[in-house]
Amino acid sequence: MKRLAIGVYLLVTVALLGWAYYQAIYVAPNDAMQGEIFRIFYYHVPNAMLCFLFFSLNLVGSVWFLAAAERKKSGGAFKFSLKGLIVPPIIALVVLVIIGMIVRATVDPAVGNYISDSGLGLALLWVAVYLILRSLRLSADQQMQVADALAVAAAEVGVVFATVVLITGPIWGRRAWGIWWTWDARLTTTLVLWLIYTSYLLLRRFAAGPQMQTLAAVLGIFGALDVPIVYMSNRWWRTQHPAPVFGGAQGSGMDSSMLPAFFWNLAAWFAWGLLILALRYHVEREHQRIVAAEAEAALNA
Amino acid sequence: MDQAAILDHQFRIAAYVVTWVIQFGYAALLFLKWQAQKKKLKP
Repeated sequence: MKRLAIGVYLLVTVALLGWAYYQAIYVAPNDAMQGEIFRIFYYHVPNAMLCFLFFSLNLVGSVWFLAAAERKKSGGAFKFSLKGLIVPPIIALVVLVIIGMIVRATVDPAVGNYISDSGLGLALLWVAVYLILRSLRLSADQQMQVADALAVAAAEVGVVFATVVLITGPIWGRRAWGIWWTWDARLTTTLVLWLIYTSYLLLRRFAAGPQMQTLAAVLGIFGALDVPIVYMSNRWWRTQHPAPVFGGAQGSGMDSSMLPAFFWNLAAWFAWGLLILALRYHVEREHQRIVAAEAEAALNA
Repeated sequence: MDQAAILDHQFRIAAYVVTWVIQFGYAALLFLKWQAQKKKLKP
């Protein structure tokens, strides 16, 4: 049954990718200014949005890992309560909405909106993670393993998507601007984001010892700080990279005839991203089992 | 097609092919790693 479900999901994802490609190449019209080269947008932007999503998942995994490790150290068991489910997200929501309103009125409406929206996103994420934890009823040790596997899987898949962004961007830039690369704010912050998460993966690959997972979790949390900076970079600093198409200033957006192609590609790459995230997570959990079995065999030898 | 349109077409194809190579190549590597692990886990 599980195999069938995976097979169906794989087929649907491949079909979605094919349909999205058809939409991008044969249905969406040529851009009036840029012509065919604009069609890179349908791959470049969804991959960029999804790398933000996966790096945010890495943040969730990293925070979860550290919280579980702390709980394990103090010897306390995980207790789930209605208060724990409702109070922290409400506090986060109220605080971020108030800060967002103040920033919207005094500094920048776009930044204010972004902060308010983050409050809602964070609250929903908290509720989702809390309910998942409650349903799984995992011990602190198990939670550390699950959180660590989620964090490393999300970071690796995020780096794959970010790599696509950093290669398709210059290909587009070479035709649109006449240059492969420039040290513009959006390009530079994206490169820094890629470097942070690549160093995260290198740390995990080459560091050894019991503190490796903790160090990686801390790096993951600091790395996630660059995500909002990348998102806001072409709003704060107007240099070479175009202004945001979605969520930008008044007059931003794209022609309605191009929207289906964009959303089909976003859906297709999202489905693909989830698939490889699940596979990477599974590989990491198997790896944890192999390491545990080897450690046990060494103890028994 | 003029020269600019041909170049646009080639660059667009390059961007799409690079995306497929990275994404599907990564998935293929993951699949191979998973298969190797499965063999290792078998008693």
